[in-house]
Amino acid sequence: MRTRCSTISIVFLVLVVVTMALMASPAKAAPPKEIKIGVILPLSGPLAPTGKALREGVELCADIVNKKHPDLKISIAQWEGIPNLGGAKIKLIFADHRGDPGWGADQAKRLIRDEKVVGLTGCYNSSVTKTASVEAERAGIPFVNGESTSPALTKRGFKWFWRVTPHETWFTADLFNFLDGLTKGKARGVKAIAKGQIDKLAVATENTEWGAAALAAIQEFAAKHGYEIVEWFKYPHTAADLTSEARRMMASGANTYLFASYLADSILFIKTLKELGASPTLIWGQDAGFVEADFGKTLGAAVNGILTRDLFSPELGKVKPVAMQLNKIYKQRAGYDFSGSSARDFVGLQVWAHALNNAKSTDPKAIAKALNALHISSEELIMPWKGVRFGSPFPGDTQQNELGSGVINQLQGFPGGKYQVVYPFEFATADMVYPFGGWK
Amino acid sequence: MELATQLVTYGVLMGCIFAFISLGLSLIFGVMNIVNFAHGEFLMVGMYVAFLISSYLPLDPLVSLPFAAGLGFILGVISYRLLITHILRGPMVAQLFGTFGLMLFLRYLVMFIFGPDVRTLSHGVLVGKTISLGWISLDASKVMAAGLCVLFFVFVYWMINRTKLGRALRATSLDAEAARYMGIDTEKMNALAWGIGGATVGVAGGLLAHFYYVTPTIGMVFILIAFATVALGGFGSISGAFLAGIIIGLIQVLGGHYLSELKFTFIYIAYFLTVVLRPRGLFGW
Repeated sequence: MRTRCSTISIVFLVLVVVTMALMASPAKAAPPKEIKIGVILPLSGPLAPTGKALREGVELCADIVNKKHPDLKISIAQWEGIPNLGGAKIKLIFADHRGDPGWGADQAKRLIRDEKVVGLTGCYNSSVTKTASVEAERAGIPFVNGESTSPALTKRGFKWFWRVTPHETWFTADLFNFLDGLTKGKARGVKAIAKGQIDKLAVATENTEWGAAALAAIQEFAAKHGYEIVEWFKYPHTAADLTSEARRMMASGANTYLFASYLADSILFIKTLKELGASPTLIWGQDAGFVEADFGKTLGAAVNGILTRDLFSPELGKVKPVAMQLNKIYKQRAGYDFSGSSARDFVGLQVWAHALNNAKSTDPKAIAKALNALHISSEELIMPWKGVRFGSPFPGDTQQNELGSGVINQLQGFPGGKYQVVYPFEFATADMVYPFGGWK
Repeated sequence: MELATQLVTYGVLMGCIFAFISLGLSLIFGVMNIVNFAHGEFLMVGMYVAFLISSYLPLDPLVSLPFAAGLGFILGVISYRLLITHILRGPMVAQLFGTFGLMLFLRYLVMFIFGPDVRTLSHGVLVGKTISLGWISLDASKVMAAGLCVLFFVFVYWMINRTKLGRALRATSLDAEAARYMGIDTEKMNALAWGIGGATVGVAGGLLAHFYYVTPTIGMVFILIAFATVALGGFGSISGAFLAGIIIGLIQVLGGHYLSELKFTFIYIAYFLTVVLRPRGLFGW
């Protein structure tokens, strides 16, 4: 009798265990209701305003993935969650890195360990992206970076790091592709010009690491593309006076002036060149001071015709309707236009959404495979890129988007004017004004 | 020859402006033996006066010069009465940190009121105008600033050396206690030195705003050059400040032309050599 009872008890126990296992297994196989993605940004300290704009860009993308937007002609707007994961919603878990690489790495660890995020994105500052991505690499968790531009980030051979934005080397390559294009008549509104009009370069870069790197890149690409640097120098960006430097550029006989300057020194250079009556054919600035609102506001009409490297312009809406639509929504929510950085962070999360959908799983290996095979077309993007596809566009690069591009804007119609896109040529938003011709 | 003439002309013009900015600093140090770290912020206030008068009234920024001088004078006297008289009783380090605190206070007060934006004057009879002298093209406002600098130096030099007030100021600077015994109100002389110092740098700021950008942190750009100028010319020496300003203007223009990256280095080498070889400067008291 006792043996029979024991046997029944064992059978019952086995049945309970099997039933529980059967009950548990469908839940394990079912897609998650939400997918956590960790977003590490500078949300406090001096970069807090930038961090806020970036956060709004990422949040907008998550909202567009999670809720249907029939008016928007991009695929994520029709999804209502990740379709191949049963409509699972993207849930963003934000972390503040305060601009501190050490703290950023700690936040990456916390998000992976405690929040159990599927993957990471961020961090804006290349130095923080560098340390945070090391944690993702150790944990075997995908890190998709939208906006950090240090070339070194994709030269580390990491298996779990993908970068969507073009990097600094690219921007200098863009400049010389643009100059070459001018000689071939590719610029909107400008007939092919003789190379002799733009082939002599005078380069002024401020003397920190950024300026020195910009100068080295310009020297490298100028040699490759057959342009002559007739004058170059580095200068302290806190200089009280740049008269002798400006005069030196004028005396060099250069027809094209290139700058890597912060705001105050870029203003001082342009004012001084104007005062001295310089008349180069082209003036180009490497982002930074040249794209700050105060540059045009302060110098007014003196900036008209100046070119600057950038990444985005609200004017792109003229040639990319989706950029106009999304910028409008973004502006309603944030109160200001997309910047190059917030627009790229939008695309960063868009890449995450496509990768998850293609992977049909939240397994890191499946996501990595999907990222490596990913191809998003230009029509899907707000950026003026040919698309997103990861590869090795420059020697040493791995898992770097090879279809990206910088933008060259021309300041037109100041005071109160706009940054009009003149490169990539296919995304030009206005006729280019050529030559620059001075300030008469 | 053409190049040399241009560089020397630009150097002398900028040198006059550096000298003008340093004049008040030299005067205050000469009378009271105190280093005013907030001097760059007094300059910034003068620049904002020019910017506000030209933007919001709107009058020619040259009209702002008497207002910049007046506000600079009041700012100098108030700083002396409310801060300096108290910290003078403390150790030397309290004096240093006192004016350093005043510098931060003024900088961030202006930043709070006007924001960190960079601004420039958009109109004025001299704004954006150039004067062509043969092969040299000069900013009319820089020429004006240099001319007024010379006038102010002559006036302050005359006042210090030829008037009763100037003699009282010099007596206060040489021996305050003895001056008091002789019936000189040394408190008044100290306040006056701060007032004149504030007024001169206020005018320099009003002129600088004609061709330079205006921002709350602009003092940082000029204060180190002003210190180097005062040290080179001799602490408290009016003629020394003028000569040193010209020397530093020439050094930074020539340095900028031949080795731009090191233009500050050349200025500080001159400062360092002066401190080592002739600690009281070229014309120190």
